[in-house]
Amino acid sequence: MSDRRPSFNSATYALSHLRHDLFRSTTIVITLGLTIAFILLTSSLLFGLVNEISGTDEKASILEGRIPGSLSMFEEFRLTGNELSEDSKSALVNYLLVTSTIVFAVALFIMFNTMSIAVQERRSEIGVLRSVGFSSKEVMKIFLTEGAVIGTISFLGALFLGTPFIVNLAAYLIDRGESGIFFVQPVIPLQLVVIIGALTITLTVSTTYLAIRKNLGVDPVEMLRPSG
Amino acid sequence: MPDRPLIETVDLVKTYRVGSSTVKALDHFSIDIEEGEMVAIMGPSGSGKTSLLNLIGALDRPDSGTVRVKNVEIDRLGEEQRARFRKHNIGFIFQFFNLIPSLTAIENVLVPIMFEKEKPTRKAADLLERVGLGDRFDHLPGMLSGGERQRVAIARALINDPLIILADEPTGNIDSETAREIVSLFKELNDEGKTLVLATHDRLVAGRAKVMVKIRDGRMVRGKAHSRDGMMSLSPKEGGGREK
Ligand SMILES: Nc1ncnc2c1ncn2[C@@H]1O[C@H](COP(=O)(O)OP(=O)(O)O)[C@@H](O)[C@H]1O
Ligand SMILES: [Mg+2]
Repeated sequence: MSDRRPSFNSATYALSHLRHDLFRSTTIVITLGLTIAFILLTSSLLFGLVNEISGTDEKASILEGRIPGSLSMFEEFRLTGNELSEDSKSALVNYLLVTSTIVFAVALFIMFNTMSIAVQERRSEIGVLRSVGFSSKEVMKIFLTEGAVIGTISFLGALFLGTPFIVNLAAYLIDRGESGIFFVQPVIPLQLVVIIGALTITLTVSTTYLAIRKNLGVDPVEMLRPSG
Repeated sequence: MPDRPLIETVDLVKTYRVGSSTVKALDHFSIDIEEGEMVAIMGPSGSGKTSLLNLIGALDRPDSGTVRVKNVEIDRLGEEQRARFRKHNIGFIFQFFNLIPSLTAIENVLVPIMFEKEKPTRKAADLLERVGLGDRFDHLPGMLSGGERQRVAIARALINDPLIILADEPTGNIDSETAREIVSLFKELNDEGKTLVLATHDRLVAGRAKVMVKIRDGRMVRGKAHSRDGMMSLSPKEGGGREK
């Protein structure tokens, strides 16, 4: 029977650890997940706007009714003609990039701090791994896998829990009453999903690398000494 | 070339810097340990036992002197080479067990081979059964008693079939009944040909060893052989005047 258990590798190691340190892993996953959901949401709406708004004053005022303050925001984008001007499109994309970068940076900073503290507490674990003969690369691999697993869980969570939220918000924004026209139909291009996913994993792995880097060069004997 | 002992240390000096002062943990310590021996290193706390095991086990490097294990001068190896040497030759057992708290018993045993292509889960299970934990595979260390944790650690130390087992106060944190069982296990391993070096101040443990060495202030005070077959391979070599 024990022959048939799933093989033990750095991914199962990471999952076991995340389960064991549930509070910390949940903190990181929720922070990251909300961030990714926010990015998915803003980008899907903005892509939707680019796709659908034909730029009439009527639609703009209905939008203002739904989202107070949006009129002034869209005025900046000079929604005047029938089409969004190229300037307006790039303004939207820039807006998206800037807000996403800021929230992502904040989330990664929180992750970095949480991981750094966790690594301090896991120094003796690193010592154990070194004592059983792991190279520093192998120890690194264990921790980076954990970063990748955190990134993947956060991303998938945001995608599968966040998408229904986006769809519901869209339903609210759709004006069926007076004009019967779609106002904002959120658009989530597959490309965007892939890019955000890849970016999330790259950044969580890099953040983990930064958090652990200092601790790998340390003498295993130091790490194994009880209570410093 | 004459046969060298499996483990040979010559004139080991190990000091630690604490702030501006230095502590001498080993002071020209020399010892030979033959393959198949079971040696107890006895001495009060702070006498240098852990430092010695760390050097023999390639975890650390001396300030001066030589550590030769299996004819490899391990004090000359770099950090990563020593890691590889440990992986294939040394099984460590620690006073505080040093299990990974988030992993189950069987996963802890599998840790040393987790990057190997062949992962003999069966072997890990057999080892756990052998140390009497056949019904504890999926327990986390936190759910096990001290003695059980130490037995998981022993199974982990055996997974790579090391020639040498180094145990640093292996019974320091377990009750004397369990300690007795663990010592019997060590004895069994020794009978199967493993070389064991145990640092301890537990007379029970030391009494079962073939050879007892006393250490104080980093120096060998007494080397004593008390094996039935009169194996007197242990030679305390005082002060460092040793020909090569
Ligand atoms: N990493 C270290 N830093 C500073 N002093 C140390 C360190 N490791 C050991 N020592 C000191 O070296 C001496 C020998 O320690 P140790 O080898 O641990 O002895 P034992 O295992 O016999 O108790 C002690 O005085 C101890 O305080
Ligand atoms: Mg000690």
